[in-house]
Amino acid sequence: MAERIALVDVNNFYVSCERVFDPSLDGRPVVVLSNNDGCVVARSQEAKDLGITTGAPFFQVKQFGQSHGMVVRSSNYELYGDMSARVMEVLSRFGTWQEVYSIDESFLGVQGNPEQLGELASRIRKAVALNVGVPVCVGVAPTKTLAKFANHVAKRNAHLDGVCSMDSMDPQLVERIQSRVPVTDLWGVGARTGTKLAGMGVSTIADLKAADATEIRKRFSVVLQRTVLELNSIACIPHNEERADKQQIMYSRSFSSPVTTIEGMVEVMSVYAQRGAARLLSDGLWATLLTVTAGTNRFSSGEASFPSLTIKLPSPTQDPILLARLAVAAMREIMHQGASYVRGGVVLSGLQPEAGQAMLGVFDEGGAETHVGDVLGAVKARFGNKSIGLGSGGLAVEPDWSMKREFSSPKFTTEWADIPIVRA
Amino acid sequence: MFGMDLPRQPLPKPGSHGPVGAVEAVGFPSPARDYYTGGIDLNRLLIQDRTSTFLMRVTGNSMASSGISHGDEIVVDRALSPRDGSVVIAVHAGELVIRRLMSHSGAMVLSSDEEPVEQSEPLTEATTIWGVVTRCLHHV
Repeated sequence: MAERIALVDVNNFYVSCERVFDPSLDGRPVVVLSNNDGCVVARSQEAKDLGITTGAPFFQVKQFGQSHGMVVRSSNYELYGDMSARVMEVLSRFGTWQEVYSIDESFLGVQGNPEQLGELASRIRKAVALNVGVPVCVGVAPTKTLAKFANHVAKRNAHLDGVCSMDSMDPQLVERIQSRVPVTDLWGVGARTGTKLAGMGVSTIADLKAADATEIRKRFSVVLQRTVLELNSIACIPHNEERADKQQIMYSRSFSSPVTTIEGMVEVMSVYAQRGAARLLSDGLWATLLTVTAGTNRFSSGEASFPSLTIKLPSPTQDPILLARLAVAAMREIMHQGASYVRGGVVLSGLQPEAGQAMLGVFDEGGAETHVGDVLGAVKARFGNKSIGLGSGGLAVEPDWSMKREFSSPKFTTEWADIPIVRA
Repeated sequence: MFGMDLPRQPLPKPGSHGPVGAVEAVGFPSPARDYYTGGIDLNRLLIQDRTSTFLMRVTGNSMASSGISHGDEIVVDRALSPRDGSVVIAVHAGELVIRRLMSHSGAMVLSSDEEPVEQSEPLTEATTIWGVVTRCLHHV
């Protein structure tokens, strides 16, 4: 019985979610666009085969795609969020521990002999496909870095059926692959590090594995030293490191059309502050600092400007009314009437897990920290996200600066009016 | 996180100025206190596995004799194995359709209430069964 780490991720996650409810997309090139339908963020295999790249601006690939029958979807985050939660819950049933790494990938603690591990990986893959309907790849190895690598191998070799467990691999084959794959394909090794490594004659994974870990630490960082150790099967990247101390909650978006008036920005701040407060509430965190940010169009005439202002909150808070009021006041301070703003944001930081000792000012109305947040949350849970809000923030009609999602599929799993239609 | 799940609200404490629906009296503790364990939770009763269960809406009346009518909502579980007689969601010509899986002269077919079983589409390797219908929320 060996303790191993599995890295499971969904293939082309956004596209795969769309396909579950629209089988007509099977076998066709499909791309999903970023916020405001700006650029390509996800591609089906068929779209990859057409040469469409991630990050390509939509207007550049639109015509070419159309002539090849490409289907375009706006990001449907309600759907992806719900499908992600389903995938993660299925995965949690197979692991001794789970660390959700991103919307579509998760580390899992698994145990067994080589044969059992291979079987378990296949079972995981089948369970997600059956329950949720999306395809996953599974890499199993002694460390996170190697699990990522095994997953990479599973993804690139169709005959492996989406599963690669290092314990069942011929060590010589592993060596051969590692001496071919560039070091920049490794988890945590970026392009810049790659260039520096290449200067030292380290260009493949095998090269890095053979490097002196202490030397690597001196020349680079403890992070890259860990990578070397992990390549040598010494697990040293701790679990949940990045989740244990969440640093900030950020709500920042670019607008579909520029906002030029103070009234318009006030509306934006009010909505974003409330969304931020909702996240504080659901994460059980209280904020001590509030930052508002704005940005003008880079490409319009004149210099782009990115004003921001941070204020210390009177006491640790989750209160949406207080946060909205302060965000609006701060924004009034920094913005210029008539400037053309294309982005805005609210950042809540200095997060702590409890309200702490509130300093009640002499002039505070008693019980100013009402449970408005709880009530708003409860009403939203029952009647939907747009049923209630502060100021203009809760309007059922989307204001015109809100995200552009021209090609969005319905919210199949989160809106009663949008559930999939079946023909009888 | 799941669209279909409402958060379970804890019982309000006595004297709490809870939101609408706070039922407990301020003056006397409720005699029902130790017995009340929450209302009937349809999610729990109708959904075996929330990771594999999806809600869908029916259009068309070809399953009406089975009690599944136009406009009805249905509960679909992807993880169940379809059996002879199961009402299923199948993928047909790039579209989700609702049919009854039946054996007919030695083969499995996808039949509707409207067409004779002889004309039903045979189940082939290429047919995808999307899920098994477990409930119909019929509009009366």
